[in-house]
Amino acid sequence: MFKSDDICTQVMQSKEPLLEIKNLHAGIDGNVILNGIDIEIGPGEIHAIMGRNGSGKTTTANIVMGHPDFDVEDGEIKLMGNDLLDLEPWERAKEGVFLSFQYPQAVPGLQVGNFLKKSVASIKGDEAAKGKNFRELLKKSMKELNMPSSFLSRYVNDGFSGGEKKRFEILQMMLLQPKLAILDETDSGLDIDGIRTVATGINSSIRGTGSGALIITHYSRILDYVKPDKIHVLIDGKIVATGDSTLATDLEENGYDWLEEKIKGGDE
Amino acid sequence: MNAETTYKKISETTDRADHLWRYTPWKKVHPTGDIKKIPEMSEEVRIRLINLDGSELREGISLQRGEKIGEDLPNVDLVATSFVKAVSENSRWVLKTERKFYSETPILLEIEANGDMHALELILDIGEMSDFEIITMIKGNANWIGLLRTGKIGNASNINDITVGLQKKGVLLRLDSMSLGRDANMNTGTVSSGSERTKADLRYKMAERGSNLHVLGSILSRDEMHLDYHIEIQHDAPETFSRLSWHAACGGKSRTIGTGMLKVAKGSIGTDAAQNFHNLLLSKDARADGIPELEVSESNVVGCGHGIANGPIDESQIFYLESRGFSESDARSALIAAFLNSTLTKMGSANLHNWLSKLLTSELDVMNK
Repeated sequence: MFKSDDICTQVMQSKEPLLEIKNLHAGIDGNVILNGIDIEIGPGEIHAIMGRNGSGKTTTANIVMGHPDFDVEDGEIKLMGNDLLDLEPWERAKEGVFLSFQYPQAVPGLQVGNFLKKSVASIKGDEAAKGKNFRELLKKSMKELNMPSSFLSRYVNDGFSGGEKKRFEILQMMLLQPKLAILDETDSGLDIDGIRTVATGINSSIRGTGSGALIITHYSRILDYVKPDKIHVLIDGKIVATGDSTLATDLEENGYDWLEEKIKGGDE
Repeated sequence: MNAETTYKKISETTDRADHLWRYTPWKKVHPTGDIKKIPEMSEEVRIRLINLDGSELREGISLQRGEKIGEDLPNVDLVATSFVKAVSENSRWVLKTERKFYSETPILLEIEANGDMHALELILDIGEMSDFEIITMIKGNANWIGLLRTGKIGNASNINDITVGLQKKGVLLRLDSMSLGRDANMNTGTVSSGSERTKADLRYKMAERGSNLHVLGSILSRDEMHLDYHIEIQHDAPETFSRLSWHAACGGKSRTIGTGMLKVAKGSIGTDAAQNFHNLLLSKDARADGIPELEVSESNVVGCGHGIANGPIDESQIFYLESRGFSESDARSALIAAFLNSTLTKMGSANLHNWLSKLLTSELDVMNK
């Protein structure tokens, strides 16, 4: 619905995978969290990562975005062939990486409208944040996400409900039109209507645009509305299984123990 | 006894143990440092009253030389007050509004002082049911400025009263002693990023039933500034409401101090009052103190509370903004502006806020250079 022709053409013409994570080893304060992750997302693909709490899902998201607290010990992260590891978070954002946070930060005193303009101007250039096109895209996106215009005069995530925070993250994604969107538990805390609304936003921003997405989730519900091309299962900082959308249903019905048993059995 | 005689009698009585003088002794605020002396002031300050947008002032507001006494004002510190009264004897002005005076456009009271030492006494005489916004802007190159504001906010008036300190250097001694009438609403804000040293003693008395007061501060200090604000709110009547919300962002080797005193007199049933100081430390050499105090003599109150928070810029907030394309320095600037804006935005109308925001942005630009 909100296709960015520039991004679409750029990504479609590239022979490189959209996102390539190779043998990623990383941790924090000397504690190892990721033990050699490999993920490859092609243009137009949506992948999902599932796993128990503490398995390394959010760490993966933060490391791709460039969180300064994490140390990358080994491996590569490339976006359309370009190395991301040497870039600052804001440079990665300009390259086209977007992270929808599990717990977005509140910034009292910073008005949503001003924040969105500044953010769009920083990533897409001053012209993109001005004039009729920006206003129309904003209006249309807010309508799609059932957000009233009064939202713009509130402060960023200040006093927002859980659902409002998640919809605001998706609104930013729709305006910024990233090449790669990482959605960290965007569905948690949302009711069925909220999940459907957010899923509509994700589908309209990613499907058919040449962009890609990595959805981190505990539940299969959002995957009923955003059909992933691949699902990866992360246990103890390593991807132990990759499959299609039926894997999500298996995990929700049977938990992770059977998979762990299967891996152990395979090892033995 | 006139002010000069009073001052000479008590000039040496300030006590460092006193909350008011603990962090900035009177000697450091006095124009010469020799506290026994009452120095001659320079020529008068330039003072003018205009509409902020340049349009003509409505009828019903005036600024004239004069005096007015007899209001039920808060208890004041006699040393600083008698000193400023003594040195401002020839520069005493009354800002008066008629009953039901109304202005949609914010009004600007500009005080420009460019000599060595200046002092000014401003008496506010706000008529009943007045409704307007006023900015008192202090600017210029003076080495020392003393400003004493006294007066009463008339019954059922709604006033947004902002004082902006933009002096390029020197010392500012600022004293407020104001009383709120029945059902009067007052937002009184301080926006400051000027002067090398500021000592402010701001006192407000909820003298009559139903009065409402918000005291707000957006303070930006840099270099080696020393900004010391004492805010005292006295609840002397039932069903009164007050909030103090003070935000100071401190950079360089600057120091800011905020001391609060909340007094609730016996009989002030239904008082609802709170004081909060928030300090944002922008460098390792900056220092900020917030010290709220309560003296509550009435047990039947809605609530009386205080709080303080000190800390550097939140690194998680920086990462969040960086993930949205803000460079690190842009993220820091945006977070400082947001911190100050959260009190600035409560000071008045959208018009007033826009004006203050622009001012704040240009002051932040100066700091970032």
